[in-house]
Amino acid sequence: MVTTIVPVCTETPVRRFIALIPGLLLLIAVGYAGKSIEQSIAVYTKARHITFPNIEYVLWAIVIGLVIANTVGVPRIFQAGVATYEFWLKAGIVLLGSRFLLGDVLHLGGISLLLVAIAITLSLTFMHILGRTFRLKPKLTSLLAIGSSICGVSAIIAAKPAIDADDEDASYAIAAILALGAISLFTFPLVGHSLHLSDKAYGLWAGLAVDNTAEATAAGALYSDAAGKVAVLAKTTRNALIGFIVLGYALYWSARGEAQAVKNKAAFLWRKFPKFVLGFLLISLLATLGFFAKPQLVSLANLSRWAFLLTFAGVGLRTSLRELGKQGWRPFAVGAIGEVFIALLTLGLVYGADRYLHL
Amino acid sequence: MSNNDSPSGQTISLDVYAVALALVLALLVRLNLLPPIKW
Repeated sequence: MVTTIVPVCTETPVRRFIALIPGLLLLIAVGYAGKSIEQSIAVYTKARHITFPNIEYVLWAIVIGLVIANTVGVPRIFQAGVATYEFWLKAGIVLLGSRFLLGDVLHLGGISLLLVAIAITLSLTFMHILGRTFRLKPKLTSLLAIGSSICGVSAIIAAKPAIDADDEDASYAIAAILALGAISLFTFPLVGHSLHLSDKAYGLWAGLAVDNTAEATAAGALYSDAAGKVAVLAKTTRNALIGFIVLGYALYWSARGEAQAVKNKAAFLWRKFPKFVLGFLLISLLATLGFFAKPQLVSLANLSRWAFLLTFAGVGLRTSLRELGKQGWRPFAVGAIGEVFIALLTLGLVYGADRYLHL
Repeated sequence: MSNNDSPSGQTISLDVYAVALALVLALLVRLNLLPPIKW
């Protein structure tokens, strides 16, 4: 990652704040442009009845940022403000907790919950074996594993700061997950129809195998309304586990290496532990306990989206394509092989459970 | 994004500030002191 080192400021807080404004305005402009492109494409394709996968603002904001950073570059006056993207990322993750209701898990039913647990465990294991086979960087492997087994972009967003991964790793993992998610929109309904899957079985499969919530919902709804509802429920169950999985990875990465050199591991882990994960779990718990009304949950989810808008503009603006290119084709191959494996694995699980255990 | 280069104090304060901002926003939404946030 090519990072501009912002000099330690000895100026007054007011002057430091003023120095952030140009970069913040650039983040807003780039992020909003990404959002506008997503909406324009959606309106255009809907008006002309064209089937086109929804490419989320996340990817557009990164792409616009990438183009600026790798062509004209980011002038020095913007750099301090652009560097605040990490702050927006963490605030956005805490607010994202409102979208993950722990209680949703209970609505799915015992067999389906078991399938969710089996699918996540096998997916994480397989992605790590695959990453090791292709000799990917361990943190990139972790991001791809979390993204493809839990919940796509949201999980990568949550895991990135928790395991202290590079911008290039996160950009690559997000691009791979979104590209493969778009492909699943076309292929899943075809497979479902050819196997004559029931609505519940197909919905469960879509909810288990498609990574991003938007694509999983769409893949389910393309089959039938009932399948769409099951897909959302299964996907929400996976989403609910995001905090625990990220917590596990954060502890794992905190404990690696440096932990052996410190005397008090508990204190070390606490110092290295990303505190915003606790904020995420707190908001998730409050949402689960009914502390917020439904419209308020929508507002909180939208606030997190606005925070991510700034975040991903910043990720693009601080990502060097030259560094990204050095990673080569292997991360994408790992993502693609992993996605196909997970799709087949979950299809087998759901098909078997529907046939023998009657979902 | 690497926190390794920065002193741990700075990393903690960034987390704390981010959590504090998010919780304040959540409280404002809960108390209906913010208008509905649209996307």
